[in-house]
Amino acid sequence: MTGRSTLRVALVALLLLVVQSTALLSVRAGGVHPDIVWLLPITASLLAGPETGAIVGFWSGLAFDLVLPTPFGLGALVGCLLGYSTGAATAAVDKRAVWLKPVAAVFGSVAADMLFSVLGAIFGQQQMVQIDFFSLFVVVAVSSALLVLPVNRLMRWALGTDGNRRSLVSAHSTESGIW
Amino acid sequence: MVVLVVLSLTIISVDLNGRTHNITSGIKSVANEVYSPFRQAVVDIISPIGDFFAGAVHYGTVRSENQQLRATVARLRAARAERGFDSNELRNLLALQHLPYLNSLPTVTAESQEIDSSNFTLTITIDKGRADGVDAGMPVVGAGGLVGQVIQSFHHTSVVRLITDGQSKVGVTFGPSYTGTIDGQGPGNPMTADLVTPHTPLHKGEKMFTSSLDAAAFPPGIPVARVTSFHNSAGAGQESIAVTPMADLSQLAYVDVVLWEPAA
Repeated sequence: MTGRSTLRVALVALLLLVVQSTALLSVRAGGVHPDIVWLLPITASLLAGPETGAIVGFWSGLAFDLVLPTPFGLGALVGCLLGYSTGAATAAVDKRAVWLKPVAAVFGSVAADMLFSVLGAIFGQQQMVQIDFFSLFVVVAVSSALLVLPVNRLMRWALGTDGNRRSLVSAHSTESGIW
Repeated sequence: MVVLVVLSLTIISVDLNGRTHNITSGIKSVANEVYSPFRQAVVDIISPIGDFFAGAVHYGTVRSENQQLRATVARLRAARAERGFDSNELRNLLALQHLPYLNSLPTVTAESQEIDSSNFTLTITIDKGRADGVDAGMPVVGAGGLVGQVIQSFHHTSVVRLITDGQSKVGVTFGPSYTGTIDGQGPGNPMTADLVTPHTPLHKGEKMFTSSLDAAAFPPGIPVARVTSFHNSAGAGQESIAVTPMADLSQLAYVDVVLWEPAA
């Protein structure tokens, strides 16, 4: 992991946190607002593999947990699972396919929100499953599909993958499979 | 990957454990102290742009004044609604029992910074915290009645769980001396009044107030909800009652935190 990449990923996460907690809170349909936090692990895993996706998902989820009233650590758990599973599921897919990013963003974000609410209920927050899932999934799917390309551009800059594919984890730790 | 999952589960366990919750609460508090001013600065910058697109009618101070006027009207409505509960006899009784009454309790007016920051909880974040005397457990009123309860208190901000949230439960009293519990059912779903004995006499529009039972989580006499429908099912252990909040939860720009803490 290079210090410069880590810093840039942190900056991108902070930018999305600010956008999420300011501008996007007023963009509502059916009382639901977009959740763009999930785009960080999705784009990171598409650009640099499942391990990097998991790491970005964990830390970005933890950062969002700091300002949400939901259980602390839940966003980190869902983020790392989302990053890893997205990277693993798309490992054999040609990353240049134009449909890949929107499709991964839509399915990944909807799955992450579903997992987030179900795990929240399991951890005692029953209200997290007492929501209008249809509105949530529609809003999150549409917004994720629209925003995945700019977020992907930011993540590409953050990870330094404009020319060469580069991962947040070293070759050694990737091979060991620890992360 | 495994390490991250285990680490996440550990953090969640620490947060949900009553004895170690202070650790995560402290971390969140520090993060909020750092982030809130930064976020507010961004809001101050972008809100004029949003106001411009929202229309000149709602621009700037006019909008703010409008919200303050709505809050004032709501407080007056709440005071009028309380009078139904506030018979002299009951007032004297409460005084004799040394129970606090909302009129005599100090309040802190707060401005909402965020409304429903998560899609999974019905909460608002207000700009008053421990430095202003606001603490977890305190009731929050405004716009006609009870709005919710403070669930997290940081130095300069607090998180309030609305009464419509699925985790919200409020003990209420109505009629001569009937009691029940009002449960939030999540966004878009009507609240219900539970634990009401079958065939309890009710009428549509009946007002329910926070109860004065021992160890109640709220001070007595705050308007909570009014009955919208009710029916008795054969063999049911309780009357099925749907209620709607007395508070106008669409007007939460300003709220009052009642500086009252539940008995330990």
